[in-house]
Amino acid sequence: MEYDEERDLRVSQLSFIGNILAGFTHEIKNYIAIIKESAGLMGDMIKLGKKSKNEPQEYLEIIHSIEEQIEKTNDLFRYLNRFSHRMDNELSTFNVNETMEELIALLTRAANQRKISIEKDFQKDILPMNNNPSMLQFLVFHFLEEKITKLDKNSRLIIKTESANGSTVIRIIPKGNLLDADKEKGYLPYEIQDKVVRQLGGNISQEKEETVIKIPITDI
Amino acid sequence: MAFTKVLLIDDEVEFASALAERLQLRNYDAKAVYNALEALNSIYSDKPDVVVLDLKIPGMDGLEILKTIKQFDPTIEVIILTGHGAVESVKEGLTSGAFEYIMKPVDIGELIAKIEQAKKRRDNK
Amino acid sequence: MTYNSTGETPIGKTSKERDRLKVNNFFRALLHPRDFFSVLGKDRYKSLKIRIVLIDAILSVIPLFIVVTVSYFWFQSILKEDFRNNMKWQLVGTKQSIDFFLEERLSALRFLSSNCPYEKLSDRKMLTDIFNKFKREYAGLVDLGVIDSNGIQKSYTGPYHLLGKDYSNQDWFHEVIIRSGYISNVFMGYRKIPHFSIAVKKEVPEKGTFWVLRATIDMETLKKYTSNIDLRENDDAFIINTEGILQTPSRFHGNVLEKFIPPLYLNQEDISVREIESNGNTVIFGNVFIKKSSWFLITIIKSTPYLKIPKIFTNELFIITLISIFISIAVSIGMTQAVVNRIKKADQERELAIANIEHSSKLASIGRLAAGVAHEINNPLAIINEKTGLMKDILDLTGDLQQNKEKFIGLINGIFDSVNRCRTITHRLLGFSRRIDVEHDVIDLNDTIKEVIEFLEKEILFRNIRLELHLGKDLPKIETDKGLIQQVLLNIINNAIDAVDHGGFIELSSNFKDKNTVQISIKDNGSGIPKDKLKHIFEPFYTTKEKGKGTGLGLSISYGIMQRLSGIILVESEVGKGTILIVEIPIKSESS
Repeated sequence: MEYDEERDLRVSQLSFIGNILAGFTHEIKNYIAIIKESAGLMGDMIKLGKKSKNEPQEYLEIIHSIEEQIEKTNDLFRYLNRFSHRMDNELSTFNVNETMEELIALLTRAANQRKISIEKDFQKDILPMNNNPSMLQFLVFHFLEEKITKLDKNSRLIIKTESANGSTVIRIIPKGNLLDADKEKGYLPYEIQDKVVRQLGGNISQEKEETVIKIPITDI
Repeated sequence: MAFTKVLLIDDEVEFASALAERLQLRNYDAKAVYNALEALNSIYSDKPDVVVLDLKIPGMDGLEILKTIKQFDPTIEVIILTGHGAVESVKEGLTSGAFEYIMKPVDIGELIAKIEQAKKRRDNK
Repeated sequence: MTYNSTGETPIGKTSKERDRLKVNNFFRALLHPRDFFSVLGKDRYKSLKIRIVLIDAILSVIPLFIVVTVSYFWFQSILKEDFRNNMKWQLVGTKQSIDFFLEERLSALRFLSSNCPYEKLSDRKMLTDIFNKFKREYAGLVDLGVIDSNGIQKSYTGPYHLLGKDYSNQDWFHEVIIRSGYISNVFMGYRKIPHFSIAVKKEVPEKGTFWVLRATIDMETLKKYTSNIDLRENDDAFIINTEGILQTPSRFHGNVLEKFIPPLYLNQEDISVREIESNGNTVIFGNVFIKKSSWFLITIIKSTPYLKIPKIFTNELFIITLISIFISIAVSIGMTQAVVNRIKKADQERELAIANIEHSSKLASIGRLAAGVAHEINNPLAIINEKTGLMKDILDLTGDLQQNKEKFIGLINGIFDSVNRCRTITHRLLGFSRRIDVEHDVIDLNDTIKEVIEFLEKEILFRNIRLELHLGKDLPKIETDKGLIQQVLLNIINNAIDAVDHGGFIELSSNFKDKNTVQISIKDNGSGIPKDKLKHIFEPFYTTKEKGKGTGLGLSISYGIMQRLSGIILVESEVGKGTILIVEIPIKSESS
């Protein structure tokens, strides 16, 4: 029984990572496509020899767009790099705010599509944690994803982090209407959720609409 | 006043040549080389003020090149190029005598600033 | 998990030898209980439990039966011995009684003959008187007679008319003259009643003559003694003379004066009680010689009372044995349950631990690969950045496109090239991320190999390692887990890279091993692995790297992965020459 549960957890986690990486890749592909199109456009314009009054302004605009995509791609890869390195060791010392940033970077696109804004309310001098960062990301991600899917348009989703009594507290605070559609669809089954939280040594509780995740700073 | 001599050492030809051109447009005497042999030859013959060096070059350990430069002429300042997740090599580079580091893709403004700082430092020696 | 039971590595062996080794290892594994059941693939714990309880039951029942059987026969022989001894005592006792009886009568006659002169006894009235007194003291006497030295019965008292009878020619008369005391065999008298006589000779030295005093005794008296012997239904006891003529009646072996042929030679010296075969049955034949009368006392025992006792013994013993076996099996079952359940739990925990380690390892390698991709993208991105920046610079500076038309086209083409590079890189990442949890793919082996190489290309180039690929053509598609195979290849090739360090040579080949298996060989010209270390390389935590570098888990995990995929990893190495690692993969996966 326990064996099967463990297996489900592992498969879930791998699934999660696969999805994250796929998500990253899709976004990047989009940016690169834009770069290509922009460059192509410029090329076409030059070849056609069109001389317009706005030149070189037009070109500069295209170049600016390309530079934007480069920056976005670069940022995304920075997050990818950080996210990937979380998996190097099961146990490491990390800054929870940074791990949350990586998740946000992943979810921004989906959130934007639904006109939901994700806000960070991070404690600035939050204490570093000694735990399993990848596992923590795995857990928090599913709550975030759930909220994003259920929230109404133009809602806000606040992620708040703070240190309190030897624990790191992550609060997921939805601000808006929660549609109750498809309760269990695609989200982490309760047993696995429970297992993960126990592995991290913490607990999850629901305070009204806030999901509160408490993880001890040191997982002894 | 002579232009600042900058030597770019990176095996990515497209990158280094474009960057060299951009520096030249900004009145730097910039040259790009793409392997260790050319790099060392250039150092000995051209005697650049500032070197911008990518540590991961096939054929010779970038760190070795850095040390060779510093041995040859310690007043030449070296700025190392790095990518994401290459923190270790940056540390190694800095302890081996590099002056600064900059990440790829390179922000031209940031690079210029660092080159100027390097030049100043060299002039003060 | 050991490489194989004897730790024998198939170094430098031919394919045939390797296969034979595999078959041997299979049979060796068969004998080892755990592996035996993993081979069967059923609920191995249940089978193990049944097996243990069975073996235990057999092992406890066999000695029990041996002990019980041995005890039974031992007990039986003791009882037999006891019975025989008992019989001997009875024979001895009866013989002595008969001896005494006869001696008594003889003594009485002697006494009589000593104390009563011939003349007195010749008087019939006197003889009768004495005889009556005699009869009162000594039972069984039938008559009494006085016989002179010529053999003529001079005086007689009794139921027969024997006065004046002439015995001078009779054997007994001659015997009594010689022996002075004589006991006769039983004979049928005038009245057709069996009896025997005893006679004593009285010498009269003054007259130089003698006379004989003779008494006849009823056979019944004799019979009383044989009757005293402890007999059961089918038993018999009787007396015979040296010619085999019955002196007393027997139950089953003839009447008085009939002939009985003893089944064996009767020794006059010992008392014997022996087992003999008679009509397919075993009977006990006892005999003892009565010297005085030259008679044999015979007992023939057909009943076997000593067997009855064991029967009771057997009944109780049987119940006790049954209860013992029952208790033993119950305890065995209980303990086996406890122990095997513990084993099962430990196994599961171990498998869980291994699965977790593999998982961590997988995550780490995923992380490394993803990070590697992130790192790789730097260059093409930087190129795009520079070229774009250059275009901007030129526009800012000159504002005139037409002069630099060619240049711009060139730069834009350069951007296209880098965009393609980025695409290839991200495409690889995408493919990889899709495959992370898929387990059953149909893959092209060579493509898989090439993908792994792509990941490691930079490293290989950086270290100036020469890489040669000899990928077999016409290799079929393989049913396996692409991610796992890549993990294994990544691990092995990384090891090869570390082994050759700078300026070395690595050769990768793929080919058919047989119609069911393909193999990938990774050969390097590193320093090689010494023979004594070769045995250990697949063990967990075995590493020759310095502390902090390498966990020593890579190869053991890879080995485990290949085992799960029903393949195998083989190694050949020679110090100073290099190492070859061969990964064999079945073309069709075993459907679980």
